[in-house]
Amino acid sequence: MKRTLALILALVMALAMTACGGNTTAPAPAATTPATTTPAAPPAAPAAPAAQSVTLNVVTSYGGDDGNRGNFEAAVAAYEAATGNKVNDGSGTSNEEWKAKILTDFETGSEPDVLFFFTNADAEPIITANKVVSIDEIRSAYPDYATNMKDSMLAKAADGKSYAVPSSGYWENMFVNKTVLDACGIAVPGPDYTWDQFLQDCQKIKDEGYTPIACSLFEVPHYWFEFMVMNNGTVANHLDVPQSADDAAGKKWAAGLNDIKALYEAGFFPANTLTASDAETVEMFNDGEAAFLIDGSWKVGYFNENAQDLNDFAISYVPAKGQRSASEAIGGISMGYFITRKAWDDPAKREAAVEFVSQLTSDDVLSTFVTTEVTALVNGAKPSGLNALQQSAADANAKITAIAGAVQDSLTAEARGDLFANVQNVVTGKMTAEDAIASALALN
Amino acid sequence: MHTKKAAASKIVTYAVLCLWALTTIYPFIWVILNSFRKKGLIISDSFSIPMGDAFTWENYLTAWQRSDFKNAYLNSFLISGTVTVAVVVIAGLAAYGLVRYRFRGRDLLHSLVLAGMMFPVFSTIIPVFRLEALMGIAGTGNRWLSLIAVILPQIAGNLCFAIIILMGFIRSVPIELEESAYLDGCNVVQIYFRIIIPAAKSSFATVAIFAFLWSYNDLFTQSFFLRYPQERAITGLLNEISSQAGVNYGLMAASVVLVIIPVLVVYVCLQKHIIKGLTAGAIKG
Amino acid sequence: MIYKRKTPLLLFLIPAFLFLLVFLYYPFFQNIINTFLKIGGLGRASEGVNAPWYENYQRLATDPYMHTALKNTLLLTLCTIVFQVGVALILALLVDGIRVGAQFFRTVYFFPIVISATALGLMFNLIFLYKGGMVNQLLLSFGALPSEVKSNGKVIVEWLDWKDQAHFLFTMFMPVMWQYVGFYFVILVTGLNNISQDLYEAASLDGADGWARTRFITLPLLRNVLCTCLVLAITGALKVFDLPWVMFGAGMPENQGWLTGTYMYDQTFNHMNVDYGSTIAVLIVVLGVVLSNVANRVFRTSDDF
Repeated sequence: MKRTLALILALVMALAMTACGGNTTAPAPAATTPATTTPAAPPAAPAAPAAQSVTLNVVTSYGGDDGNRGNFEAAVAAYEAATGNKVNDGSGTSNEEWKAKILTDFETGSEPDVLFFFTNADAEPIITANKVVSIDEIRSAYPDYATNMKDSMLAKAADGKSYAVPSSGYWENMFVNKTVLDACGIAVPGPDYTWDQFLQDCQKIKDEGYTPIACSLFEVPHYWFEFMVMNNGTVANHLDVPQSADDAAGKKWAAGLNDIKALYEAGFFPANTLTASDAETVEMFNDGEAAFLIDGSWKVGYFNENAQDLNDFAISYVPAKGQRSASEAIGGISMGYFITRKAWDDPAKREAAVEFVSQLTSDDVLSTFVTTEVTALVNGAKPSGLNALQQSAADANAKITAIAGAVQDSLTAEARGDLFANVQNVVTGKMTAEDAIASALALN
Repeated sequence: MHTKKAAASKIVTYAVLCLWALTTIYPFIWVILNSFRKKGLIISDSFSIPMGDAFTWENYLTAWQRSDFKNAYLNSFLISGTVTVAVVVIAGLAAYGLVRYRFRGRDLLHSLVLAGMMFPVFSTIIPVFRLEALMGIAGTGNRWLSLIAVILPQIAGNLCFAIIILMGFIRSVPIELEESAYLDGCNVVQIYFRIIIPAAKSSFATVAIFAFLWSYNDLFTQSFFLRYPQERAITGLLNEISSQAGVNYGLMAASVVLVIIPVLVVYVCLQKHIIKGLTAGAIKG
Repeated sequence: MIYKRKTPLLLFLIPAFLFLLVFLYYPFFQNIINTFLKIGGLGRASEGVNAPWYENYQRLATDPYMHTALKNTLLLTLCTIVFQVGVALILALLVDGIRVGAQFFRTVYFFPIVISATALGLMFNLIFLYKGGMVNQLLLSFGALPSEVKSNGKVIVEWLDWKDQAHFLFTMFMPVMWQYVGFYFVILVTGLNNISQDLYEAASLDGADGWARTRFITLPLLRNVLCTCLVLAITGALKVFDLPWVMFGAGMPENQGWLTGTYMYDQTFNHMNVDYGSTIAVLIVVLGVVLSNVANRVFRTSDDF
């Protein structure tokens, strides 16, 4: 008995010691390897200005199936060729997980040198932690930085300063499948499209055996939410976030949700809209099974890759109700290039990072991006060589009279997630629109 | 009479076995067939053999050109190979200790191992990331350090499972073997290497296969630590391709084939090893 | 007597538990602490202690989605034990009884585990696809789906939605169970191979036929391995995540399809509710420990030396 007790003690002590030992042994490889890399860095630093070759860690959302991925990669290659610097491109697809990873990187000191990120509330943690450099501070050393942008279009953080240089903007609008509309004897809607006309068209399309609206209410109800809210308000007050479900903005939101419910009850969404994925319903639209699709500028890239014939599709207008006109849409510039404090304080990287952002946001480069209609460039963008769908988007955008940002961007991630997850409960009548709004606001 | 009955039961046996085999082989055939099918034809007709107009090599060419498979294979093998070796060695020792020794706290350690198997990786990944960043391993942008950053938590994540499995097998090794070796003058360490390992050889191979596969297929941990192209391992590459491919299912199928081929090779090799371990007949002694 | 001297034990245990301590227990301990804090994002520091501090546990008890998740997961666990381990046992016994082709079956049964969940999810999504999936195409060719011809000649087929409330349990459980049968099969076959052939020969001399040999030799000797399988099945089922997530995403259909694993992931990564996600993780672990201990008590032989 005594012996076992002694043994346990010995074991515990050994474990405790190894636990401590673990902390000294485990970092050992880390301590030695940086020891070989960190000393390597300072000698490299003085040499860097001479050699002019720096490796920049860059993270953007131009990965995945982003419509501008090709344009971005070409611009990066041009930068590498022009400067001799190397770009370590860690781009991904923007979603909540991607955002979370990036914020974690900043917390742990493993942030990139240049970051293309959201300029809204999502960026506040890295701004308040002084992890990114303001445009004013950069201009104090590089006076020409971002001077090709309209200052009024630069996003302002809570502290009143601007940090990010905007790239291309985005728009959300209604894509239509012309073959389906033709088969149903409906003309492509113009900028005067009304809600009543839309409901009639939907009924007609349904009677002809097609699905009127391609949308997965399970996965992406937010496109319809934005426009239905605007339909019950105005473009001017679109960004008002309700304080409660009964105030003016709350009522507007509730009316918008109930409009979606009415469409659902009329059977205008796909029969499996609550179990289909976004990819499935978009494919349905692409396949000539559905007539209408509300989506964003990033979707143009999808059709370039997957459509049989781009001429089958057009960008039209979301039908309007009340005070809104169908020529008013959602859009804006929600992202931009940040230079991190880490790169700025590194003499070897400072110049390279500034040069990178300047080059990637130059008039020439931004003119190659497909969403050039929404731009902060002083001289505007001059796109050329547009394909049928891009041209259709440009034509539609030319008739857009006003845009507002997406109101969902003013919500916290938690509130946003809750609201959109509850849309399916609202349309099936399991929850009232007011309760869904109240539930989301409680998390905001 | 007796033989007739035996023959009938043989037929039933084979029928059942073949039926199940069909369900496990068919998906492979399906994926391989579709990897040679032209873009856009998979949804409309994914079950025929792609011939003539429907046949194409293009998916493989696109996959290989678009992504750096060679480098990703290398990274994957460095990661999964290290994880496999470490897990087998470390878990073997621990399982042996836990099975054969009686000591106070044994039940506690056993429960800890069991509990460890249940920790969902999403709940441990953030603290691990912070810890490794603190140690200077994670998020440095240095390829080799990033690989180590994946290897360490993967070893820990596979250990509990490996220990549980190996304990089950070491338990069933007759203790008389060890006792006679002890009487012959072997010490514990010698017993472990001369008796236990040969006797439980097949189960070590089993554990090795699982450790390798899980490490190879573990997208979640990889996606946290391997961000830059030169660090990317093969499963991350597959994910990257599938997120870029949209509904280009042919490209995806081709990438899946490229990703599973090495695993199949490793599996089939170790499979032979299991048979060797068995025919050595160590256990019958 | 061999194992009286305990010093070598340290050599055996320290490496493993050192790894577990640093990369598993410490992070999970951190995770437990997180359940009492308010954390609004993965990368963010906590904003203080919850009020009341046990808020998340309170929510766990009253959250209707959590109840759905628990119900589904326990059902899945039960199905896993019965069908997964059951089928694996039958297959293992059958393969053990044959010579020709045994190696072939052993190799191919393992295949599904080799494929990553992303690929399998994609495949099953195509099989159960609403419009023109494999199953629905088969049903259509048997005339099992109602269809209607419109005046314009367009044929409207009422496809079967395999992910709706009436069918999702099958669509969700079937692939999960199918994938891991091979896993338990390999473990059981290895266990069967460890049973000495002499025992069977002796039994044959005593006149025992096939079933009697299985009943009185194989199953009792396989008991420990079976118990291992059971524990693995239970813990595996509790944290099943990847396949259901790829196929069903967040609680499809209509929040009836949650599992503890998918609900935890959704809360943590999509709702940024890190503290609540951590709480669900704690529940998963506690449930796993309790259930597998019960399994151990019931099945493990007492003389497990």
